[in-house]
Amino acid sequence: MNGQSVTRAFILAAALLMAIGSAQAFDDSKYPNLKGQWERFVVRGVPGQPSFDQTKGWGALQGAPLTPEYQAIFEENVKEQDAGGLGLGADHARCVAAGMPFMMVAFRPLEFIVTPETTYIIIADYDPLRRIFTDGRDWPKEIEPTFQGYSIGKWIDTDGDGKYDVLEVETRGFKGPRVYEIRGLPLHRDNQSVFKERFYLDKNDPNLLHDEITVIDNALTRPWTVDKRYVRNPDLHAEWPESICPEYNANVVIGGENFFLSADGLLMPSRKGQLPPDVRYFDKRRE
Amino acid sequence: MIHRLVMGAAALALALLAAASGAQAFDDSEYPNFKGQWRRMPVPGVRGQISFDQHKDWGKGQGAPLTPEYQAIYEANLKTQAKGDSGEWLGISCLGFGMPIMMYGGEPIEIIITPATTYILLNWVEHGRRIYTDGRDWPEDIEPTLQGYSIGKWVDTDGDGKFDVLEVETRGFKGPRHYDASQLPLHRDNKSVFKERFYLNKDNPTILHDEITVIDNALTRPWTVVREYQRNAEVRPAWREFICAEGNGHVRIGNENYYMSADGLLMPVRKDQPPPDLRYFPWAQK
Repeated sequence: MNGQSVTRAFILAAALLMAIGSAQAFDDSKYPNLKGQWERFVVRGVPGQPSFDQTKGWGALQGAPLTPEYQAIFEENVKEQDAGGLGLGADHARCVAAGMPFMMVAFRPLEFIVTPETTYIIIADYDPLRRIFTDGRDWPKEIEPTFQGYSIGKWIDTDGDGKYDVLEVETRGFKGPRVYEIRGLPLHRDNQSVFKERFYLDKNDPNLLHDEITVIDNALTRPWTVDKRYVRNPDLHAEWPESICPEYNANVVIGGENFFLSADGLLMPSRKGQLPPDVRYFDKRRE
Repeated sequence: MIHRLVMGAAALALALLAAASGAQAFDDSEYPNFKGQWRRMPVPGVRGQISFDQHKDWGKGQGAPLTPEYQAIYEANLKTQAKGDSGEWLGISCLGFGMPIMMYGGEPIEIIITPATTYILLNWVEHGRRIYTDGRDWPEDIEPTLQGYSIGKWVDTDGDGKFDVLEVETRGFKGPRHYDASQLPLHRDNKSVFKERFYLNKDNPTILHDEITVIDNALTRPWTVVREYQRNAEVRPAWREFICAEGNGHVRIGNENYYMSADGLLMPVRKDQPPPDLRYFPWAQK
């Protein structure tokens, strides 16, 4: 017992020393320069809202290799959306996190912070951020499921010039429901998705960042790869907007039904003939 | 016209080159080691919920030097809360707390230092603060936010050639904002100025201090507290995903707060609260 306590104390002391030690030399010139504000690359003429594959329109135009089961789920959701509902985008519409891969759509600009142990992607939208651990760790025995998943990365020097140029990332450990984009393209409800990403600056344009994403998911008939791109804002002191989802969100979900908030703050129907919310818990004498 | 276009293109090219250039030498041994996971240091015996001065009870126990006007506003708010309403505390509906509640540290905090910016990742209703240390001046116009606009400066106070204190000034707010969960108010003019000093405890580098001085027109004098955070000894701590809207039972419609019942229906938060105005559902009116 005493031996165990001494061992634990030693481990704790070692951990504390590691945490507070001053040996923190970091040569960031070994890493690609991802500094600045990155905005979604806009492909002109693509219809719909921002999509997973930026080169194609949202929804059915994405050409997602969905299984027949998930194609049917998607089409049912489209019918609901076309009738004024939110379909599979309902959770997102009430400010629940988008999760992977929707969180990488860059509705708001992204920021990358590279450190030897972790690369941070500050999302500043519905989802707070991603931590990509590059400290050589193994997968934890148990991962607490999250919308963003647990990401482990590795920096690679692909051209042998002594500097890293690609960040390879694998992400697992999800919860859901999650969709690829707001049209409701679904990921499998078993949440066993695996994402493999390669982040790198464009060889001809260092102000263009690629995130090559391959999705392995049981709602797909095969892995699906897209090349997402982001453009660096030339303003070195670019403004970072404060994004608090409920502040600008006009959707309110009550009893499974979606309603809008009008400009004067009152409840409005989201579709023709929609009944008002059930107010049975209010004292009828007040009405 | 052509001259202006050429000048504009040249300026853009310079900016892009500067952004993309590889001149990024950074010796992080010049800065204090703030790495790891930080949480609010609990103070035994202190009563109540989220407070500003963590060494004192929340609410009146804080001893905030409020002006008589704001003391009256606070007392009126306490009466509203006593009836069950959440008052004007926006954070409860996930609308953001702002400074200074956002620095509470109930959910763990991470601090990342780079020469140009120190990031405080909050993992709560707010996701983070950027403290600019690149020598910039105050912008002519600041878009008001709940967290404000922060400019910092690293200081070597003991002359050993290494920075040990981060001095920060924060301005440019919107509101309403409060100091604590009892809704001790800041002035509605949102002219608050926060001056902070972040530094590690000299005797124990696993304790981080954030000495905050608030200058606010709802106060009779500047109010200074020293907040303390404790470093998690775990080298690879777990970072919980905190999504405020997930499972949050508070809904704000118009200027009224409501609860969502377990069966997903609207409930009043106080006795005799009327249901929301349903005038935009005329076909459902009796």
